[in-house]
Amino acid sequence: MITAFIHKFSSPKSFVVLTAKLYPYFICIGLCLISLGWIWGLLFAPEDAVQGNSYRIIFLHVPSVIYAELIYFFMAVCALMHLVWRVKLAAYLIKSAAPIGAMITFIGLFSGSIWGIPTWGTWWQWDARITSTLILFIMYLGILTLHGSFSNLEKADRLMSILVVIGVINIPIIKKSVDWWSTLHQPASISVSSGSSIDPSMLYPLLISVIGLGFVLISLGILSSRSYIYTREKNKKWVSEYV
Amino acid sequence: MFDLAFNSLDEILQMNGHGIYVWSVYVVGITAILVSFIIAKKRLREAQEKIRVANASS
Amino acid sequence: MLRLISIESFKLFRKLKSWLGPLLILVLVLVAFPLSIDISQYDLEKFYFSIIVVSLLMTAFVATEGMFEEDFEDGSLEQEFLIEKDFYKLALCKIIVYVLLIGVPIAFIGSIFSFANGVAIGSFPKVFLLLSLSNLLLFNLFAFGNSLSINKGAMLGVLSSLPLALPIIILLGRAIRSVQFGDGFSEMIALMAGVGLIVSALMPLIISAALKTHID
Repeated sequence: MITAFIHKFSSPKSFVVLTAKLYPYFICIGLCLISLGWIWGLLFAPEDAVQGNSYRIIFLHVPSVIYAELIYFFMAVCALMHLVWRVKLAAYLIKSAAPIGAMITFIGLFSGSIWGIPTWGTWWQWDARITSTLILFIMYLGILTLHGSFSNLEKADRLMSILVVIGVINIPIIKKSVDWWSTLHQPASISVSSGSSIDPSMLYPLLISVIGLGFVLISLGILSSRSYIYTREKNKKWVSEYV
Repeated sequence: MFDLAFNSLDEILQMNGHGIYVWSVYVVGITAILVSFIIAKKRLREAQEKIRVANASS
Repeated sequence: MLRLISIESFKLFRKLKSWLGPLLILVLVLVAFPLSIDISQYDLEKFYFSIIVVSLLMTAFVATEGMFEEDFEDGSLEQEFLIEKDFYKLALCKIIVYVLLIGVPIAFIGSIFSFANGVAIGSFPKVFLLLSLSNLLLFNLFAFGNSLSINKGAMLGVLSSLPLALPIIILLGRAIRSVQFGDGFSEMIALMAGVGLIVSALMPLIISAALKTHID
């Protein structure tokens, strides 16, 4: 029953049709929210007592590192679907999400290292979370390289899925690295279980930025997955009828 | 909560000496996202064009 | 199992560069490093372990390079698949043979060099155990990287398995600190042995799935 359900709702055709309709809404919501979050955070949120104005990097840094991990997690779920139920769409989504994941991880690393200059006095430190985020970035590159090195794309899809599933072990390591090792990086300021240690005047724009960036990245994912699906399924009848 | 944290455009740019860090991060971040969008749009258009050409020739 | 282990041992012994090369590289790095810095200025004891750890990573990688390539090229993988229907036993035996014939000697040489550079001689068994366990983990991981890339070269193998090897290196670094400062060593060993057992049991399954993809 699960297999039938998955196969019904995971055909590339229904995905393309649905996401083409959703894309304009997602991009509009994303752009509005992210503009609101960043303008609020950059211009209206009060200055931090300890870090001064440099803390305003948080409104880009935190959303990007959240999505760096979330995109990998999404890819791992897709990889599992591809390996267990042989869902083609799942492999297409992994291939389309990996460059976005690499890009957002790069933004997270870059913003973090720039933030480190005024607050820690150094732009790089071999600290647990920074190092494990760098590992995540290499992981994204590895996945892309692995897929790119096989001319047989079905084989490349399966090998890429295996690597993604194995690499998911790094996600809890990144998540918990700040708690497990005594490092320079501060522990998470917002937690589902214990609430937040940030003032609401900073927290609200941060949450809006997180949601806004999410919508922007989903829109980007829709665009790149559609073009990838067209490329892979170009010989299918539905593609020539739809385009 | 909704009072402007700065008094002038110059203060916004300077951010008490932290402006260079804050603005460079946002410029690089926005550029990376924008470039990704441009590439994705271009690829989508190219893929659609190829399919249309193939359709027309068949 | 025994049949496979003897075949794999024979194959490995025949390929001189596969087992002797990594050992010589390890010795070369460990000897060349103290010669290339001014020992009077630096406290070698403090960071010589890091060099051993990094050399271990490098030699484990060199040792496992092309682990399945020859079998893939000469058709033995397909033959094995026809007999066994999967590659679990083959992968397990290959890893066991590589760890015993290359990993353990590497750990032994690493341990000798560690106490030749000021580490108390009493710590030898501890260091040897630690390095052997980390070799077990690293060989498993690099075998996985090789099963993905198979005949696509070393670069791809590194890119796909190095991110997974780095947490092991971090763990090994902490374990070595526990040897140096003498606290929490048994906990670290227990942790590494536990992880090593789980990885050794599961990794051949994953390697088998990757190899099947190449055969399909």
